[in-house]
Amino acid sequence: MKPSNTSKWIKSSIISILGSVITIILLLRLILPSSLSLTASIFKPYVPNFKNVPGVEFYDLRNYQGNKDGWQRGDKILFCVPLRDAAEHLPRFFNHLNTMTYPHNLIDLSFLVSDSSDDTMGVLLSNLQNAQSQKDKSKRFGNIEIFEKDFGQIIGQSFSDRHGFAAQGPRRKLMARARNWLGSVAIKPYHSWVYWRDVDVETIPETIMEDLMHHDKDVIVPNVWRPLPDWLGNIQPYDLNSWKESEGGAQLAESLDEDAVIVEGYPEYATWRPHLAYMRDPNGDPEEEMELDGIGGVSILSKAKVFRTGSHFPAFSFQKHAETEAFGKLSRAMNYNVVGLPHYVIWHIYEPSTEDLKHMAWMAEEEKRKVEETRIKEFYDKIWISGFDDVRDEWETEKSDILLNIDLTSASEGKVEVDWSDDDDKMNFAHAALADSGQGSLNDKTKNEKVNDANTNNNAGQAHKAAGLEVAPDFDPNL
Amino acid sequence: MVSLSLIGYKIKKNPIITLLLPFIVLVSVYFVVFRTDDSILGIGSLPLGNHKWAHEMEHTWYFPFTSRFKMPRYSYKTQHNWLFNDRVEDIIPEGHIAHYDLNKLRSTPDAAVDKERVLILTPLQSFDQRYWINILQLTYPRELIELGFIIPRTKTGEEALKQLEIAIKNVQSDKKNQRFAKVTILKQDSQSFDKLQEKERHALNVQKERRSAMALARNELLFSTIGPHTSWVLWLDADIIETPMNLIQDMTAHDKAVLAANVFQRYYDEEKKEDNVRPYDFNNWQESDTSRELASSMQPDEIILEGYAEIATYRPLMAYFHDKNQPITEEMMLDGVGGGCTLVKAEVHRDGAMFPSFPFYHLIETEGFAKMAKRLNYEVYGLPNYLVYHKEEFN
Repeated sequence: MKPSNTSKWIKSSIISILGSVITIILLLRLILPSSLSLTASIFKPYVPNFKNVPGVEFYDLRNYQGNKDGWQRGDKILFCVPLRDAAEHLPRFFNHLNTMTYPHNLIDLSFLVSDSSDDTMGVLLSNLQNAQSQKDKSKRFGNIEIFEKDFGQIIGQSFSDRHGFAAQGPRRKLMARARNWLGSVAIKPYHSWVYWRDVDVETIPETIMEDLMHHDKDVIVPNVWRPLPDWLGNIQPYDLNSWKESEGGAQLAESLDEDAVIVEGYPEYATWRPHLAYMRDPNGDPEEEMELDGIGGVSILSKAKVFRTGSHFPAFSFQKHAETEAFGKLSRAMNYNVVGLPHYVIWHIYEPSTEDLKHMAWMAEEEKRKVEETRIKEFYDKIWISGFDDVRDEWETEKSDILLNIDLTSASEGKVEVDWSDDDDKMNFAHAALADSGQGSLNDKTKNEKVNDANTNNNAGQAHKAAGLEVAPDFDPNL
Repeated sequence: MVSLSLIGYKIKKNPIITLLLPFIVLVSVYFVVFRTDDSILGIGSLPLGNHKWAHEMEHTWYFPFTSRFKMPRYSYKTQHNWLFNDRVEDIIPEGHIAHYDLNKLRSTPDAAVDKERVLILTPLQSFDQRYWINILQLTYPRELIELGFIIPRTKTGEEALKQLEIAIKNVQSDKKNQRFAKVTILKQDSQSFDKLQEKERHALNVQKERRSAMALARNELLFSTIGPHTSWVLWLDADIIETPMNLIQDMTAHDKAVLAANVFQRYYDEEKKEDNVRPYDFNNWQESDTSRELASSMQPDEIILEGYAEIATYRPLMAYFHDKNQPITEEMMLDGVGGGCTLVKAEVHRDGAMFPSFPFYHLIETEGFAKMAKRLNYEVYGLPNYLVYHKEEFN
């Protein structure tokens, strides 16, 4: 054979050998998709096999670090919800759950029911049964765990009880304990993400998980606002626990004693921190991020490794903070990034505070009063029109006829004499006389008016009685 | 002032200004109000003339973001590397509704009688057969014991994993009443706590890094394994090769939130030509005035470590309080603990006490954990006369 032929032959044989090797590998991979032992032994470190050994589990934590496209890679989310007297909020909450677009089978739900006086547990169970018995199996959720633990309640649950300044420190520490009991017991090695969510959220995008997850941050929170009745200005930033540390805050922290807890949003602790809530621009880009130090707990998505490696909701004063705010600080201390989305908003429900309730009661009263007043006014107008003739137009026409024969200029013919002498006594006397007469006439006037008033009041009262209306004694028709 | 008014006057008299000024004004008004392509005022693409606030465009106040911006469209196709897939099928329990009442959870002095579950946690750098034999010899009922191991991603870790696999398979495939309630083995994502060799392991400069990595491993192990039934957590190092057989009963009987046994080491005394014991773990200590002063003068990211001449703390160390003539039940208050053999009530961990991987009051890992438990109002104790033995080290 010629040398050129041999080289050709070698070339083609190499190609064919390569091709067959590749096809064999591909075929093997296709034929044995489940037995990973071959590829595993080549590309992967040793994996023990405990398939048939009871009570033994092995997890390689590398597989559960959290991907930014977790919904495509089967990342399991642990969905943690602390509950207390939340029966009324649960139906709304489950509506949100059901419309979520993240694959439901990848969501493990964990609830902590504590110190509840209403039927939170019953409502929760019936809602869960409904969710898990849906015809569409893809709508059912993964593993569900309910934990019960009472911590003893030091503070009432009304809005003002919870949000008063003095109650904040101990309350936050107690809530932190509750969160930790739930988080520590619920998280399993195979969770890649942990999502903390309050039940009382009113409006939230269906894609909340994907929206937060694709940022690929260790800890991330959306902005939280709440709707308000229009007499309070329609909307309001709600969650003031998401903030960036400021110099004022750092100074304040230094001045406080070890167990003190700074709570944001109270005039007692002026920190001058930039709050995530106030950074919202309604026209802004929802993808924009903002570094945070403290965060709020309404909706937190974090990689499971953050909790697994020890970050939690400190139930003690950690750098002068507790609970979720301290969770932000603690995660920062452990070198995780903590981020908020200023222009991506979820809406918390509006619960009126005691003051709001008072104001609302007053408004209702006012409403009633106004209705009453218009009724009375209408009635009055009617009386007025029918009771009196308006003769002003007639007077205008008759006036000229009546005054026709009176010479108005003749009055000026009489001379008016004025004594301009500088006699002080005289002057004083004149003044005194003037004052006397003035007062006298004034008194007369007021007397007359009083009589008139009494008359009109009487008349009005009689008129109302006639109309079958009740009138408050201090009712003033001129208002 | 005079010159200014003069200039003003001259400008006013200038006919060009009277011509140009209205023109300039018209142009700038056009640019600000009616130009659409890019706004001078930076209010986006809408011309100012028909500018609308976001809520007017959305017809509501309550919107998550403006429709001007679109969130990315997400694809829900499953993704995995089908050729080099390194993901192993997990044994993940089926979906169901489980209900646990944590109010019934107790940690009492009569742990064994009350059937309280104990979770033994061990960061496993290397597998020592004597450690395993010692575990098997514990008299606490095995159906109440759960084991948890975390293994670093290293060669030695892989070796340890293979040995552990064999050992566990032997026990768990044995008679039912001889099995442990549950065994969880985790493999760390990083090589972390094992990457430093035995020799350099005690050098001061690498200590902080090593202890920090160790703290992360301990936390990962703890929070992955602590379950709804766990009443006690026993931290037992892989190097502890000898403990009393009634270790768990003895230590739970003290009913303390955190309780550390005294870790000693057996060695051959060359001078006296006999076997002897010596203190090993110096992380069990009480705070001293010197160490407090030291801490207050330190930078926030510095840590105090025990057993180094560079940092003389003069802390009373539990290791030196050992007196074999005293009863083994003697207790002493501690401020820092080691991880050699420490029993913790599960509620301490559940409340959030963990092993700080960063300087926490200038303390780190197990010592930081003791501090955190104290911040949560738990008391920390040690048993100076209750000895467990660390394996010997050959340098």
